Amino acid sequence: MHNLNQPDMILGLSPVWFAGTLFVVTYVLIVTERLNRAIISMMAAALMIVSGVLTQEAAVQGVDFNTIGLLTGMMIIVGITRDSGVFQYLAIRSAKVVKADPWGILVMLMLVTALLSALLDNVTTVLLIAPITLLITDTLKISAYPYLFAEIFASNIGGTATLIGDPPNIMIGSATGLGYNDFLFNLAPISILILLVSMVPIYLIWGRHLTADPKLINKVMQYREVDAIKDWVLLKKSMFVLTLVMVGFIVGHDYGLQPATVAMFGAALLLTLNCLPHDQEKQSKMVARSLCDVEWITIFFFIGLFILVYGVETTGILEALAHKVLGLTGGDKTITAISILFVSAVASTVVDNIPFVATMIPLIKNMAPSLGGAQELVPIWWSLALGSCLGGNGSLIGASANLIVAGFAERSGQPIRFLPFMMIAFPMMLLSVLISSLYVYFRYF
Amino acid sequence: MKASEVMDPNPTTLKPTDSIECAAKYIMERRYRSLPVVDDNFCYLGMFGVNCLLKQVIPKAVFMDKGLKNVSFIHESLEDLYQRFSDVKDQPISVCMTTEINSISPDTALTDTLLQLYETRASIPVVEPGTCKLLGMISYWDIGDKIMQTGVAENA
Repeated sequence: MHNLNQPDMILGLSPVWFAGTLFVVTYVLIVTERLNRAIISMMAAALMIVSGVLTQEAAVQGVDFNTIGLLTGMMIIVGITRDSGVFQYLAIRSAKVVKADPWGILVMLMLVTALLSALLDNVTTVLLIAPITLLITDTLKISAYPYLFAEIFASNIGGTATLIGDPPNIMIGSATGLGYNDFLFNLAPISILILLVSMVPIYLIWGRHLTADPKLINKVMQYREVDAIKDWVLLKKSMFVLTLVMVGFIVGHDYGLQPATVAMFGAALLLTLNCLPHDQEKQSKMVARSLCDVEWITIFFFIGLFILVYGVETTGILEALAHKVLGLTGGDKTITAISILFVSAVASTVVDNIPFVATMIPLIKNMAPSLGGAQELVPIWWSLALGSCLGGNGSLIGASANLIVAGFAERSGQPIRFLPFMMIAFPMMLLSVLISSLYVYFRYF
Repeated sequence: MKASEVMDPNPTTLKPTDSIECAAKYIMERRYRSLPVVDDNFCYLGMFGVNCLLKQVIPKAVFMDKGLKNVSFIHESLEDLYQRFSDVKDQPISVCMTTEINSISPDTALTDTLLQLYETRASIPVVEPGTCKLLGMISYWDIGDKIMQTGVAENA
């Protein structure tokens, strides 16, 4: 950590109190959503520096560029790949595979959503799947609600399965050195089980009642999914690069390649392949468009948040909190892991899981000496990942993807309301966390 | 010159309670592109036109914000489109009229009026400042006529 030379007093407060207060106020502002979250976190980061809690050099060092690079690289790759129409092809093909049977479509869309969420990010996935879902349900003249509900669940569960599936996993992987394969071997099996179990209540509540007119089913069967592919050349290039990137994630860890390097290299390669045949003016436009596909609000939210949390960390608050948590759990590793699993799930239901995980990472790292070293923390990292990702299913505001889907539902005239959603989603989320706690207990203790 | 000098002070209007089918027939028969919608007090509420009709016959998932950009895999017949239209034809036009077209005041300068006409690519309502009262409409044809008449007068 940097030698910070923090001032004795900031606006009449000690650095500990100033940073703690700034942290709490920032959290409250993020929850209230009165101001864009990127503005809030950038302002908080700036205040950390202006007040002297951090120097600018220290602030830059607090930013996890592995997370930023991985997110940015994947956003560029997905943005270009999307233009090929391959994701629409997948969704339509999956509906036709089950002969456009309404329950079959729901299952297939859940599987596709989960798979894409594991390989891409959740928000991108639901942005691709939700419009197709609305088109299919509109054609079949059936309610889109069960489908959109199921897709919210599938996106958060699928995102849990891999290092790149959900921002909390990216952050945990980056902070701990756990690689793509570690996430895949430890979280994918339980994610698949939870996905299958989640289909049971969805079937009992909605699935068994889903029916459609055979004439309308025939209309869905007449969709020509091959026509959804707009650019075969781009499709080939995109699939080539995506495959390389996935291989890079799987084997790169052994060669010291961080996920950010792999993702950024993939983005640069796809941009090159895509732009090379065109003149300079067209290339500039294509690159500008690809960079526009990056969700800069999310990126700057992350940057500000990393600086804010690093500032709080330097004051020693998180270390003290870690000791308090260990005091509450009696220093027992199992109790600590299970507690973190449930607390992070409930917390992620009500607050954005990104700032929560950003805070928990240094807090958990501070537990290492008391729990027997960094290696002993591994089950706790899995608990944090499971809790923070699955917790997003607990309420409509639990994850960004939930709100995106809710927006589509609203625009289609079939709104997903906060309380009715939570009445079903929260118990289902608790069920998934209960399964996860059993998994953590029996596998790691 | 100001907008009030080139506007049509007696435009054809629709009521928000008119059915979509009724309004559609009206604008189709007279080849209107869009018409203003006003209430009983002649307060301007929005515009209803061919774009609103197109939205009714194409799947909702296409026109919504962040909707489908690529629909080349859907192959529909005229019957399919009419079926979708018939689902909404009895609804009032208020459910699909657009309120996004900016209105201008009667004092708006001619050049500014032309620029807004160019950017909007549709007829523009002229509304009394401080109220919502529709004073008239300005279309490409109104302005074009005025310009051409000026040319005829000068040559004479």
